[in-house]
Amino acid sequence: MIELYAITDERAPRLPPIAPLSAVASHGLAAVYAPADAELQVSPEALWQHERVVEALMEDRDLLPVRFGTRLEDEAAAARSLEERHQEFAGALARVRGAVEVSVRVLGETPRPQPSESLSGAEYLRARARSESAAEAVSTAIHEPLSSRARACAKLSAPDPAELLRAAYLVDRDELSAFVACVEELDEANPGLSVLCTGPWPPYSFSAP
Amino acid sequence: MRDKFLHAPRNLDPFAAEQPRLDDALSRRVNADPEKLERGLAQLVLTVVELLRQLMERQALRRIDGGTLSEDEVERLGRTFMELDKRMEQLRTEFGLTEEDLNLNLGPLGNLL
Repeated sequence: MIELYAITDERAPRLPPIAPLSAVASHGLAAVYAPADAELQVSPEALWQHERVVEALMEDRDLLPVRFGTRLEDEAAAARSLEERHQEFAGALARVRGAVEVSVRVLGETPRPQPSESLSGAEYLRARARSESAAEAVSTAIHEPLSSRARACAKLSAPDPAELLRAAYLVDRDELSAFVACVEELDEANPGLSVLCTGPWPPYSFSAP
Repeated sequence: MRDKFLHAPRNLDPFAAEQPRLDDALSRRVNADPEKLERGLAQLVLTVVELLRQLMERQALRRIDGGTLSEDEVERLGRTFMELDKRMEQLRTEFGLTEEDLNLNLGPLGNLL
């Protein structure tokens, strides 16, 4: 069994000594992998270790990150996958070249109401209307200015009812500090909102075909 | 994790509130068994129901805004939607699905919900 970490278009990528990594090349692409146990260990530590490897690889090259837990039989299977999907991978690599992913989450003071015995039907609906318009306002005040500074963006759904926006932005590496400055300005201009911005991440949300 | 903060508020606790659900989602994704047809079917059916529920709710909110509904009607609609919301959550729990699971990626069209 091997576990995949990333796909790059370097034929012989320099591999960081952070894990027993190898690379297999085909069609101008290379898949970076490490040997893996048959049984997948699922834990936050294992997830972070995967992330550290992908980030170490990302430091000096563009890549498509492979999702945690993606396993193949052996090196030959990885080479076959590169051969079968090389056009798709090359296209995705072209889209994310020179860019990183930045995540933005916004909490507001107008949470989505949860059903409860103490709410009347009319109160529930009016609270829904308020949280809908708060989410729309956040979209205009935060998401639109940020997406105009990003190469691409993806809104993600948030499980927490108080989270009015969760989005990923594909930002050029040399635009990153300007993007973060913009986040800070927007946070300051909207005192009722709480903004968390993390990154730079591998472009997980922008690697799918 | 802290070195990944590009901009963070002083109080991070509200952002961490859902952390256990993330771990949960992770183990569910990895253990997904392709033979479990029933859960897949429930996911698909609930996704469609959730889509309809959201469409109807938005329609109701627009009608309230337009002022074409009486207080009684607003109350009745509100109670119906609250009940639906509750039932959806029960069904999701029963099938081990999160809100995130009731969303379909429509490729270039983005997400369904």
